[in-house]
Amino acid sequence: MLKLTNINKTYPGAVPLHVLKDINLEIRKGELVSIMGASGSGKSTLLNILGILDNYDSGEYVLDGTLIRDLGENRAADYRNRLIGFVFQSFNLINYKNALENVALPLFYRGVSRRKRNALAMEQLERMGLADRAHHLPGELSGGQKQRVAIARAMITDPAVILADEPTGALDSKTSAEVMQLFRQLNREQGKTIAIVTHDPGVGEQTDRVIRISDGRIVSPAPAIQTENPLAADQPCLTL
Amino acid sequence: MFDLVSEILQTLRHNKLRTALTGLSVAWGVFMLIVLLSMARGLTNSFRDDMMSSGTKQISVWSGRTSKAYHGYKEGRRIKLHDDDMGAIEDALPEDVVEVTSEVYGNAPSLSTTTRHIDGSYTGVYPSYLDREGHKMVEGRFINDRDIEQRAKVMVLATDFAEQLFPPDGKGAVGSRVRLNGLSFQVVGVYQGRWSRDKLIPYTTAKMMQEKKDETGGLSVLLSDNVTTEEKGNNVEKGVRQTLAATRDFNPDDESALWVFNKFVNSLQMENGMNILNIGVWILGLMTLLSGVVGISNIMFVSVKERTHEIGIRRAIGARPARIVTQVISEGIAITTLFGYIGIVLGTAVAQMIAMALADQPFMKNPTVSLAIAFEVTVVLVVAGALAGLFPALKALKVKPVEALRDE
Repeated sequence: MLKLTNINKTYPGAVPLHVLKDINLEIRKGELVSIMGASGSGKSTLLNILGILDNYDSGEYVLDGTLIRDLGENRAADYRNRLIGFVFQSFNLINYKNALENVALPLFYRGVSRRKRNALAMEQLERMGLADRAHHLPGELSGGQKQRVAIARAMITDPAVILADEPTGALDSKTSAEVMQLFRQLNREQGKTIAIVTHDPGVGEQTDRVIRISDGRIVSPAPAIQTENPLAADQPCLTL
Repeated sequence: MFDLVSEILQTLRHNKLRTALTGLSVAWGVFMLIVLLSMARGLTNSFRDDMMSSGTKQISVWSGRTSKAYHGYKEGRRIKLHDDDMGAIEDALPEDVVEVTSEVYGNAPSLSTTTRHIDGSYTGVYPSYLDREGHKMVEGRFINDRDIEQRAKVMVLATDFAEQLFPPDGKGAVGSRVRLNGLSFQVVGVYQGRWSRDKLIPYTTAKMMQEKKDETGGLSVLLSDNVTTEEKGNNVEKGVRQTLAATRDFNPDDESALWVFNKFVNSLQMENGMNILNIGVWILGLMTLLSGVVGISNIMFVSVKERTHEIGIRRAIGARPARIVTQVISEGIAITTLFGYIGIVLGTAVAQMIAMALADQPFMKNPTVSLAIAFEVTVVLVVAGALAGLFPALKALKVKPVEALRDE
């Protein structure tokens, strides 16, 4: 589903900063993985590259069979729209749009008609148990509800992979547990491939596999756990 | 399209007060533009009514007094125009002159029916007089070429005189006979006078009734469609002077031998002046509008900066850069047009008030805004709005999708 081969990334400057060093990583279809590391470990940069938000210097990144490399702004935007669903720590909902409009926004940029995208957005909200909150603004929702709206927005394009950046960072422990439960559910029931970037070991424990990154290298080549997920393909899980 | 509009409305509503305050400057600019334009239009209208409606394609010539000695004549000689000068001018300038006409004024003791008498002044005219003066026939017909040829004893009355002679409302005037100077005239028509009211009879008939049968006070030279420019108008004037200099024997360079009013050239110059006035007004208005546009642009810069994170989110979830640029520019257009239209409405209202206040003033006729102006202003607004949004949009373009990951 998602494969990085010898990825290197250096931030230029007076003292060039080599943040990612020969990263090799594969996440298989239907996997629920977490990427853990301390701040400054390069995990944010890795997330940027995985999310096609940033370019890399050398290596190869193949997402859902597509080589992601040196894309123009338009291609990158289209791939993000089609292949990736983002879930952010601070939810990143647009505060003057109601829940339904926020969820429908990716389809707006895909050119889906208003009626159709609103219907699809409503469907997603129903799945998240938020149908009655569809016309509320984010300011009127609790943290957990906001994150569920954000997850609905990530799911609406049926992306190849969901990338979550500290999705529980702004939530209390009870809500965090609910959100993690939701991720697990999406993974189990719909076979979504999900990668969660976090520094919270509790979150990492709830994923099938923890990828640890430290000082720009992947340090824990933990063997892939055989998931109970029937949708996961029976190929080798991890190459390093 | 609808989506774009609702996107824009949402963002504008997001910042109501600020949008309103900035929009005010645009509304003010457009308001000034509209009021100034409508005033200029009022001036133009009144000028057109005065000058143009009674036909601008003519040159009037009156007799004058020479200022130069010529062919043994002393200076200060009075030049008298004759009826045959009309034909002479027509023959000399067949391309440029449609017709040369004249008018003659006369006085008889009275004009009377069997029961009523009114003052007996009259004017002898040619058929083209009606259109030239902008009069309208109310009933019957005007004097025609046959009347001229046959020196017919026919008369066309202004409505006032028809009412005085045939009270109470002038009905029955047409077809009746009236007496003037001991002659019986048939009334063939009644007209509504634009400026003047008169009793009109054929030129030739009038001449017959007068002593100096050959002389005329002034000539009207009607210009053909050939004469389109100021230069051509001046050439015709020159031709007329030369022709009359030959027939009346004076120095063609003697300006004072004839009094000439070149209405055609004059109106072209006036028209030119009006255009310059209009352009001046546009420039003034646009300058005022410009300050509004700068304000909008400024506030949109701030708005783009504030929304950097939001733009990042939009980019991260798959908005192409062009979509962001389109949205920002459209916002600029939306603000400017929205408030511009408020300015148009207020400006039009004030123009209407001015129109009512100055309804009786001759210099200000119907100072209102036409559909064409409203359209032009709309185009200006859209362009101005796009301009206002352009630079903020380019700034928005620089926002990278990574911004979405930054914490607010």
